[in-house]
Amino acid sequence: MLFSDFSDLCTRLEAISGRLEMIDVLQGELPSLSEGELPVFVRFIMGRIFPDWRPEKVGVGPNLLYEGVAYVAGIKKESVVRTINREGDVGRAVEHILTTKEQTSFFTTALELEEVYRDFTYIAGVGGSRSQREKLKVIRRLFANAQPVEGKYLARLLLGELRIGIGEGNIRDAIARAFDVPSVLVEHAYQARNDLGEVALLAREGADALSGVRIELFRPVKMMLAQQGSIGAMLAEHGAVAAEMKYDGSRFQFHKKGGECRIYSRKLEDVTHALPDIVQALVGATKHDVILDGEVIAVRDGKPLPFQFVLRRFRRKHDLDLHIDEITMIPWVFDLLFLDGTTYIDATLSERRAHLESVLGDYIAPQLVSDNTEEVEEFYREALEKGHEGIMIKAPSSPYTPGVRGKNWVKIKPAVDTLDLAVIGAEWGEGRRAKLYGSFLLACRDSGEFIPVSKVATGFSDEMLAIMYDLLKDTVLSTSGKEIVFEPSVVIEVGYAEIQRSPNYSGGYALRFPRFICLREDKSVDDVESLAQIGERYYSQVTSVKP
Amino acid sequence: MLKAAIDADIFRETIDVISALVTECRLQVSDAGIQTRAVDTANVAMVSIEVRPEAFTSFTATTQELGMDIAKMKNIIAMMNKGDLLSLDLPEDGHKLALTFRGYKYSITLLDVNTIRKEPNMPNLDLPGRIILSGNALNSAIKAASVISDKIALGIDPTAGIFYMEAEGDTDQIRLEMGKDELESLSMTEARSLFSLDYLKDMGKVMSRATQVEVLLGNDHPVKFLFDIADGKGHVEYLLAPRIEAD
Repeated sequence: MLFSDFSDLCTRLEAISGRLEMIDVLQGELPSLSEGELPVFVRFIMGRIFPDWRPEKVGVGPNLLYEGVAYVAGIKKESVVRTINREGDVGRAVEHILTTKEQTSFFTTALELEEVYRDFTYIAGVGGSRSQREKLKVIRRLFANAQPVEGKYLARLLLGELRIGIGEGNIRDAIARAFDVPSVLVEHAYQARNDLGEVALLAREGADALSGVRIELFRPVKMMLAQQGSIGAMLAEHGAVAAEMKYDGSRFQFHKKGGECRIYSRKLEDVTHALPDIVQALVGATKHDVILDGEVIAVRDGKPLPFQFVLRRFRRKHDLDLHIDEITMIPWVFDLLFLDGTTYIDATLSERRAHLESVLGDYIAPQLVSDNTEEVEEFYREALEKGHEGIMIKAPSSPYTPGVRGKNWVKIKPAVDTLDLAVIGAEWGEGRRAKLYGSFLLACRDSGEFIPVSKVATGFSDEMLAIMYDLLKDTVLSTSGKEIVFEPSVVIEVGYAEIQRSPNYSGGYALRFPRFICLREDKSVDDVESLAQIGERYYSQVTSVKP
Repeated sequence: MLKAAIDADIFRETIDVISALVTECRLQVSDAGIQTRAVDTANVAMVSIEVRPEAFTSFTATTQELGMDIAKMKNIIAMMNKGDLLSLDLPEDGHKLALTFRGYKYSITLLDVNTIRKEPNMPNLDLPGRIILSGNALNSAIKAASVISDKIALGIDPTAGIFYMEAEGDTDQIRLEMGKDELESLSMTEARSLFSLDYLKDMGKVMSRATQVEVLLGNDHPVKFLFDIADGKGHVEYLLAPRIEAD
């Protein structure tokens, strides 16, 4: 497939607003793609480049992209930035620049979809002192050969957002229909393989190939997630529930085969080297090949520390000897996904727990199984007294559903309403904060797009504003006046008093009294709240009677 | 196999010609000398260069293609002094090129040629305008224009009998005219094309050393610069695509 065909298809999809019509179009495209093209197409059309489980990033920020486009068009970078400010969208701006460029070239070569993917893979792999130069070289070549419309989608792919409204759900249904396999099988295979591209290939082979998928060691799966809920509702629905402490730490996934092991963070990054003590603890606690799910917490004098302490360790990749200090790291393991060659994600929580208890000698998170409201509430009080965030309540008969925020896991914590949102914009501060960003525009996600829902300016210390500035300054897409637009990369947790209906934001909701709680460096922008979740919260606050 | 010795300055000249446009190239080596063609990453500028065996103090080679990291060569050249004799040594089927001068011996790993862009075909162009002038004069004009603009027009006005270069910035202008007596040669053919100074600046620096540069021009067409290096024992062609102004 030529990249120009892919771009034309994106243009068509961008103009379609109905979900079913989109799926129809996608479904028509999939069967004709080659073995090599199909997985790339599936990921690209969602605005992703690599399989979800892979740690690679292309690592091309707006600056490098603008520089490459400027070179090809024979104009100054400032002039590229001006066009972006005027168009308000990087993709459209690049398209415009390539349409109107004065600089001619001797020839162009049509870009192939797979060739673009190979180039991205190469860019992601170059490191060291020459990496910026090498990246720029590839970017120049891509844009030199790109037609204007190709430039539009190349730019968006490089910045991680295609903006054509194709989410996982659409492509999953398109795969199911294109290859005539049940959608639930596609979903299930995706949970285990963590790459819709590969799942598309399996779907083409047939339902048997899809249902035969297994979890693989050293290929992390997404973590199962929890909704907010109540003790009463869970007991009413499930009879007995399993309750565990909700640790204020960092989620991890531990893979071990023989003497070899790896630890992955919530973003599925390999953080093994940052956590040698956890490695030692868990390797010593089992002789089996396992994949375990748990939370690392930091403890000083027997008291859990806020999760920033854990994060500091996750981020640190060198100089560990200096850092293994008076703070102790403890892994609390609460789930088992794989044991000695067998995948257990479809087994019930009770079964998984039984296996976990039989193979892991230590570090198993305490669990209470009970059908008694008072007992569970007592467990909750105990958790808070010990300094934990709250408790998790899980349905004992539920399977492990990677990446799904379902009703089977529920978190109970004191009534602080917070949302994790992506920082997509800012305004310069004033007075003492004039050289820093003073307020931030926050967004949730909807079908792969970022939808603004709030601005936040309170709750930041001067130190935190300086940290925010450092994190964001290289992700600036454009500026106009005091307003700055970022390539979304930073997630923060914000508290609020209420969710309101609002015509001021395109999502239709706004936060009342938003305030900054903390940076969520453990979360990627893919993990932020969805518009649907915010809608649910809005309706539950409308229907619930406030005390 | 390559076994050769060359004056460090001639080697520097050769590498500078290539590095004005690309950071790596496929170098063709044979008993006819060395030669390469390359195009910059945006397909806007091309270079073709050949250096004959006579440019070398000694030269023996079998036919082969070498993947040269030009950026790295440039750094190594910075270590050489004027008058140094550089010897180049690549064994049969070797992957490391030895560069020896003043007791230093660099052993440089060659690049895999498959990772380097293929040599472009130089397009056949009909460029009726022809000027010959000194490289120094050409480079000065390019430098003068780049003070106020990022593009320059090169043209021939047959009625006035001049070769001109003009540039326009946001607020400023510059124009330089050269008549027959200031030029080595001038064809009386109407021509005018606009070019990016970003490219010309780098080419100009290299061409400033040439006693004569032949410039071939058309209307909204590429420009071709032809000049000798290595005391006439090497030859270079630069080709630059024009900028076409929207109406």
